[in-house]
Amino acid sequence: MARKEYDTFILTDLDKVSEDKEMEMILRDLNPEDRRYKYRSFYVMGMISRDESKYPDRLWVRLGRGQLQERPWSIKILKELYKFPKE
Amino acid sequence: MGLIKFYKDNREFIKALESYGELVTIQQEVDWDLEMGAIVRRVCEKRAPAPYFKKIRDYPGFEALGAPLATYPRLAIAMGMDPKASVPEICDEYVRRTSGTPIAPILVDREKAPCKENILMGKDADLFKLPGPMVHDGDGGRYLATWHFIVAKDPDTGVINWGMYRQMVFDEKTMVGPVLPFSDMGKMFYGKYVPKNKPMPFATVIGCDPLSGVAACAPSPIPEDQFTGMLMGAPVELVKCETCDLEVPAHAEIIIEGEVIPNVWIEEAPFGEYTGYRTSPREPRTVYRIKAITYRNNPILTVSNMGVPTDEGQLLRSFSLGLEMRRLLESQGIPITGVFMLPESTHHLVVVGTKVAYSGIATQIANLIFGSKLSPWFHMVIVVDDETDIYNKDEVIHALATKCHPIRGIRKYEHSVGTPLYPFAEPEDRRWSRGAQVLFDCTFPLHWPKSDLPIKVSFNNVYPKEIQEKVLKNWKNYGFQD
Repeated sequence: MARKEYDTFILTDLDKVSEDKEMEMILRDLNPEDRRYKYRSFYVMGMISRDESKYPDRLWVRLGRGQLQERPWSIKILKELYKFPKE
Repeated sequence: MGLIKFYKDNREFIKALESYGELVTIQQEVDWDLEMGAIVRRVCEKRAPAPYFKKIRDYPGFEALGAPLATYPRLAIAMGMDPKASVPEICDEYVRRTSGTPIAPILVDREKAPCKENILMGKDADLFKLPGPMVHDGDGGRYLATWHFIVAKDPDTGVINWGMYRQMVFDEKTMVGPVLPFSDMGKMFYGKYVPKNKPMPFATVIGCDPLSGVAACAPSPIPEDQFTGMLMGAPVELVKCETCDLEVPAHAEIIIEGEVIPNVWIEEAPFGEYTGYRTSPREPRTVYRIKAITYRNNPILTVSNMGVPTDEGQLLRSFSLGLEMRRLLESQGIPITGVFMLPESTHHLVVVGTKVAYSGIATQIANLIFGSKLSPWFHMVIVVDDETDIYNKDEVIHALATKCHPIRGIRKYEHSVGTPLYPFAEPEDRRWSRGAQVLFDCTFPLHWPKSDLPIKVSFNNVYPKEIQEKVLKNWKNYGFQD
């Protein structure tokens, strides 16, 4: 199975991002099974690393105005979070 | 007054654009992921005809119309006018139609409403079933709603608002976008629903008839459903929503119904914006949860691509903002000769012509329009005298460069309402929607002695009438073409 790919927007200084610690973030799915769902966003609790091979899934990083960073990072999704009130 | 020619839906408008050579039909499949956006962007930058996409990758049966109103000829067609109509002619016609009595909409049965041909409810109402484009590389998500409007109702007065508030798809059931607190819907939602922790019903209308879109852009105090009727010269036909008591244009292509959720925010943006930059920060913004999607058979999505000039956001917002200022100044009896907002300024710069009847008139004009509810959307006013053609950029630049004193001609206004979209603003000012404004007074002071007044050196101004007539009469005889 192909490696899953996501991207995320990091709004702080990249040097201040904590690696290998649980953190909440929004991911966008870049290679869903059904292509119509590309860029679907969701909240997760996960751990990230600048080392592309450290965690199972590839993570592309964008800055606050959409600037894509040249090298991908990696991510391990621990759980998906649901943020909306129950209907 | 004769009958006004108007198009009752997007499809009639597409046929009209085609008949005037203002449409390119693209049979080749295009990708919703950036390709469609790139085509629309290039169309805007080249002032090319509107692209009509017949096949969209992953979405058989869906079509799209790009840049529907990005040029004055297309606006003229939407108004039922000759596409060669001049800008002042289109302005005057718009003001004439919208100065009379509002025309209330009429409600039609759902059987007569094409937007009900397909209805998705519950789990089936999934935003990814619609071909929302990834408009620009680097955007925060797919923007399904770029040329559309959102219908909302004031819970106390029942007054309807149609407004263009961009919406980014977050997940199957969620959209998100900025609703600034000074906007009509912002005042409604944050002023009346949020304090009661009540969700606000909304309906997003995509692919409406062109004049409903023009009305939704207009900052008029007249409710937009009635304003559309004035532009059409006939009532706009509405139909009830499936999940709430809102009403939407019966002939629109796609309707998304749901609720704006209080006290929940999720991150939205960045997005290529009307200023021609990706400026406003990615930050928590207003959340829309959807309940139903209804659409016509073979629905045609409308796609605007904001960026460097000129797209329909810049063109129409400039057009209607300028004309609303004209109405305001005329209502106060200010002796103006006209108001024109340059679309190339991304509706940041407005030119006001005046007869300079008294000292201080430029400041009075600036104070009035900067003090109005229109002011957060622009920050530069150029006041020129009546020898400058406000529609002629060359003349306006000449007046600015020659008549505006670099110190006494410039007046700054600090601590104004701004928007997060101003590229020149400090990041903290963007966050708090703080702005600043400036007046460029390009009129010569009245107290100067007449003999000291510079005389404009132009063909029309420094030659006797008989010489002008002789030269014009012989122009081709001299060997000139035109």
